[in-house]
Amino acid sequence: MLLFQSEEWIDKWCKRNYLERGEVLTIHQVWKLSKLWYANRMSVEYHGRSIEETKEIFRKSGLTSTFWHGAG
Amino acid sequence: MTNDSLLWQVRHFVYSHFADTTHPPSVDETAQHFNINIEEAGTLYKELHNRHAFFLEPDTLTVRMANPFSGIPTDFKVHANGKTYYANCAWDMLGIPAALHTDAVIEAVCTESNELVKLEIRNGNIAQAIYALGDVPAAEDGDGSNLLIHFPLPFARWYDDLTFT
Repeated sequence: MLLFQSEEWIDKWCKRNYLERGEVLTIHQVWKLSKLWYANRMSVEYHGRSIEETKEIFRKSGLTSTFWHGAG
Repeated sequence: MTNDSLLWQVRHFVYSHFADTTHPPSVDETAQHFNINIEEAGTLYKELHNRHAFFLEPDTLTVRMANPFSGIPTDFKVHANGKTYYANCAWDMLGIPAALHTDAVIEAVCTESNELVKLEIRNGNIAQAIYALGDVPAAEDGDGSNLLIHFPLPFARWYDDLTFT
């Protein structure tokens, strides 16, 4: 996942690399996702997460499009 | 058969080592820490790689990624707790302060425009974003609301090629 200053730079990068445009989130959306995704990563109790738990994190982050489906 | 209790302790050791030192432990260091032989430590590393707990460099026992931490320098530098970490990507640069539950200053390079941006994470929020030319602040972007992160692949394909993702 790469950082961009604007939509225009994303389009240029995709075109230059012959890639389809993916999903674009604001840095604040990704910060919200990060806090849910990584909150317990340093714990000895963290053993990964289930598909349902992953879907729940995406849902709480407001990420509900098909792009975020297929959790596994 | 893998001893699952030891397996997850090894995962925790690798993450703690990253947090304490900014780099991953070698398989030798891990073997020594748990008083096991290197072959056993290597088997545990491979099992954790297969379970996506962390990721090894191809055909080695060197930890390349224990998300959000990177074992190699990247364009995403995170200063936190008096240390400087490297994150794997723009998401993981935010993941490091999230995982460590700490304030941080992030230095990252914007793709294509190549502009350096400094982000400050303070008290659980993105407090400030400053574009900089070298060490000279060039412009402020408030709390970074204009910055965007591009996810090139849908979630179902993230693990096809993690380095690209």
